[in-house]
Amino acid sequence: MIWDREKIESVLPQREPFLFIDEVIEIIGTEKVVAVKHVRNDAGFFEGHFPGRPVMPGVLLIEAMAQASIILYSLDRPEVVKASPEYYLGKVRAEFLSPVYPGDKLTIETNRVKFLDNAAITDVTAKVNDKIAVRANLVFSIQRNE
Amino acid sequence: MTVNFEEEIKEMVSEIIEVPVERLAADADFFKDLDVDSLKAIEIVAAFEKKYRIIIPEHEIPNIKNIRQITEYTKNLKKD
Repeated sequence: MIWDREKIESVLPQREPFLFIDEVIEIIGTEKVVAVKHVRNDAGFFEGHFPGRPVMPGVLLIEAMAQASIILYSLDRPEVVKASPEYYLGKVRAEFLSPVYPGDKLTIETNRVKFLDNAAITDVTAKVNDKIAVRANLVFSIQRNE
Repeated sequence: MTVNFEEEIKEMVSEIIEVPVERLAADADFFKDLDVDSLKAIEIVAAFEKKYRIIIPEHEIPNIKNIRQITEYTKNLKKD
């Protein structure tokens, strides 16, 4: 583990039950971050999605990928992140290739496409046991609080 | 081989901002005339960088406001 939960929370504004990164296991400069989410059996959303047939919602997989992307962005723009900006997803192009179930270990790899002070683009994959569950291109804006 | 940069760039921009190529005048201002917001602008820049294998310095991005400027920028880079 390279980053533990405490370090992750120093960068991400999200908190439980909406924090979807447990650890960062690899960092390659400001180009790539690999992070892990252990999908808990008792996560509340499984109760309703779906009763008796729990599957992790696609929107939450995208959220996990976006959070990993903010971590990567923070390595390139630490001064922007230090100012506690707001992050807004603007555009998502995604392919959902296989379902994610309770107990799965989700490995998220995010790669920099373009980073600016007020916007960012990343290419991200989320895998379970080396099988790609989701592949996405994320475009998000970063708005500093005045 | 002569490359028609303007046509290539129009097609690229058309796909990102979802405006038909025939409606993309070379001098149309991305922000005022074509409703391009900051996220679409970064998508245009990223696509442009990928296609022509270049990096546009961040401070120059706000100065690129229409397709004619991108085309001139590309021609100048290709001369170097």
